[in-house]
Amino acid sequence: MSTDDLETDLTRNTENAPRELLTRSFFFLCAALSVVTTLSIVGLLITEASKFFTLTAPLMGVTGETASIVDFLTGTTWQIHSQEFGVLALVSSTLMVTIGSAIIALPLGVATAIYLSEYASTQARSVLKPALEILAGVPTVVYGFFALIYITPALEVVFPSIGTFNMLSASIVVGIMIIPMVASISEDAMSAVPDELRQAGYGMGATKFDVSTGIVVPAALSGIFSSFILALSRAIGETMAVTVAAGAQAKFLNPLNPASYLEGALPMTAAMVQLLTGDITGGGLAYRSLFAIGLVLFVITLVMNVISDYVSRRYREAY
Amino acid sequence: MATDTDSGYIDSFGQVSRTTGTVFRYLLLAATMFGIVTLAVLLVYVANDAIRPLTADLGWHLTFFLTLVVPTTVVGGYLARRNVPALKLGGMVVGMLAVFLMFSGGVAIVFVDIIPPLTGLSYVVGLLVPAALVVVLTKYEQQIPFTLRVAATGAAFILSLVGVPGYFHSIPEIVRQLPVVPADWMILTLVLGGVAAVVVGQYVARIRENTTAGLAAGASALLLTGLAAVVGPTLGVDANAAAVVTSVAFVPTLAYAGGAAVTREQERIGLLLAAAVVVGSLVGAFAVDALGFAGPQSWVDWQFLTSAHSGTAENAGLYPAIGGSILLMATVAALSFPLGVGAAVYLEEYAPDNAFSRFIDVNISNLAGVPSVVYGLLGLGVFVTYLGQPTGTVLIGGATLALLILPIVIISSREAIRAVPGDMRQASYGMGATRWQTVKNVVLPEAFPGILTGTILALGRAIGETAPLIMIGAPNVLFNLPTELTSKVSAMPLQVYAWSSLFASEDFYTKAVPAGVVVLLAVLLAMNSIAIVLRNKFESEN
Repeated sequence: MSTDDLETDLTRNTENAPRELLTRSFFFLCAALSVVTTLSIVGLLITEASKFFTLTAPLMGVTGETASIVDFLTGTTWQIHSQEFGVLALVSSTLMVTIGSAIIALPLGVATAIYLSEYASTQARSVLKPALEILAGVPTVVYGFFALIYITPALEVVFPSIGTFNMLSASIVVGIMIIPMVASISEDAMSAVPDELRQAGYGMGATKFDVSTGIVVPAALSGIFSSFILALSRAIGETMAVTVAAGAQAKFLNPLNPASYLEGALPMTAAMVQLLTGDITGGGLAYRSLFAIGLVLFVITLVMNVISDYVSRRYREAY
Repeated sequence: MATDTDSGYIDSFGQVSRTTGTVFRYLLLAATMFGIVTLAVLLVYVANDAIRPLTADLGWHLTFFLTLVVPTTVVGGYLARRNVPALKLGGMVVGMLAVFLMFSGGVAIVFVDIIPPLTGLSYVVGLLVPAALVVVLTKYEQQIPFTLRVAATGAAFILSLVGVPGYFHSIPEIVRQLPVVPADWMILTLVLGGVAAVVVGQYVARIRENTTAGLAAGASALLLTGLAAVVGPTLGVDANAAAVVTSVAFVPTLAYAGGAAVTREQERIGLLLAAAVVVGSLVGAFAVDALGFAGPQSWVDWQFLTSAHSGTAENAGLYPAIGGSILLMATVAALSFPLGVGAAVYLEEYAPDNAFSRFIDVNISNLAGVPSVVYGLLGLGVFVTYLGQPTGTVLIGGATLALLILPIVIISSREAIRAVPGDMRQASYGMGATRWQTVKNVVLPEAFPGILTGTILALGRAIGETAPLIMIGAPNVLFNLPTELTSKVSAMPLQVYAWSSLFASEDFYTKAVPAGVVVLLAVLLAMNSIAIVLRNKFESEN
């Protein structure tokens, strides 16, 4: 190669050489796929759900049976065979699982986070953290089976009137499942609290208990709240455990009445699975109701994720 | 963080009650242990229901206690006190053997039952021919323009694998029509043993820094596989199975153990632990056979692993579901790995700091929070309703699960790529490398272990998912192994769900379901332990 060639070779612009262009476009398409996924989810849920409602079905050119959007959002009876689609019956059971699992997971998760961040030795952390990860790694259908076969009979000893399918056992396993999520996000927030604050507390004569509860937890509050919301959003979207353990009969129950946790009901996700395992026809009303429930579920979880993101950004204590 | 405040010597500051602090501390510990202990108890229950250790003769327990438990405990206890790294090495070898044995079962399902060996061989040949062309083209990289090389490579692969209908047969077709074809076990020995030989050879050449040693190790790996396939039938083991298990499980474990014995003098005593476990199990097995002690009447047995669903719990098996899970995992990995890593590379290395990049960023974290059942709806709506695919196939099941874990793969790959020091990139640019060359030669090799760990963990999530598969219409009961991308698929968690809800009866609850749960958890444990070993290795190297 002569020097002239070398010079042109070294100074040529490679930014848009074919190879660079090809690889850059490939990587860009990969990243854009996530946007396409979101758009498809939103588009699909909205178009299919609007075929379900009387109000919007004509716009989609759908004739045939439809359901009233008001009845859907305010009705409390879910009976596919008698064409009653009151989503509140499903939402109330989902709410029960959420409340029940929150009662278990939120205090235990925060306590775990405090222990891991403030008290545990490095060695204990290196054992406890993977052990907690296992809790989140067990398939949810397995948790459902545990609730049905082992936890419900154990609860029967305490509450003889408990049903084979009940919200209590489902709430317990969902609660156990989301403990690691609360714990790991809260612990990240607590570890991010600067050591100077702790040292200042000790310098004032505070005990470790005072420092943990009076300094570290308040300083990490935004992270703890955001972990709560994310974990609850996970509990709402949880499918297989509640499908197996919570029951198959849709019922409107009062989530604030403890006695109703002994009964079985049908949360939103379980209703979706039930719709598909039952014999529904391709384009029928029941099939389209699937997407209406899906839309409700998607909106609830999306709003919760956005709130969690906002809380952790907006109220983060900057150090 | 862990500041010691128990300075009880200074009494003059007055009394501070330590009761609250102590109570609080133990409450926290109890809270931490609650979930872990609950799950552990549940796991003991399900393992007891599935394996039923109490149904075995007392003599059986006693024999294995003497041959396996006692020697292992003695060796392990000695090593734990004297030489912990050696104990780790021994544990590693034992774990490797267990995980690889399980893995070889999966390989046997894929390369013997799903893909007939001859078909497999034909595609291997069909891929080797264009691959050779690529190697040649890379050699003359400077002389041939890039576009021409890409075009030639693409054309070679298409011509070789698809051929030109009517004019020119594809290479796999030609291979399949050869008048004389080798027996199945020869093909398996050649292909799987060949792969094992290459891997083992490179490993030995690297640790011994000696090419001849590597060649010798590779040749002996191939020989060992062939020997197992020849000797196997005389001992009552199927030749195909012998070839697969030897090449996938025994050869790599032997190579690792042998390599450690030669290069790590301080720790090689740990191999005694592995020897105690292996010899103890074999001696125990022979002894109970000779003495006529009956083992536990476990529901997880050979019949359960190799037969299909049945109306009675005793005869029900998991085989089509295991095969389905393997095929789904392969599809999910093939789709989500390149797409996820590609997106991560774009976001970390290419993306300009503008609104669109930030939007993608927020979007991915929101996608990670979308419930899995909604992804199932996406698969149902887009692939089945709009694209007109048949319901419940391997392809759309894999595609749906791939979309589900894509955000997780992207997030963990981004973390791995971000951990690559900026200095290394700057050095590469300083040498005149382009962006792609930097990504290919510096960033990806450096981030690869982290990316791999994240991907395996995400695959572990996908293998346990049931809801998306139900939504796309995967059948609850499948009697045949899926053999193509367009055949109906079942999966292990789906089968467990079907047994525990659709065939709900006391019989299934106490027999088939616990057995299915134990198999599913064992596979998950194997996958997660691979990921954790990789992560630890990666962290200790940095």
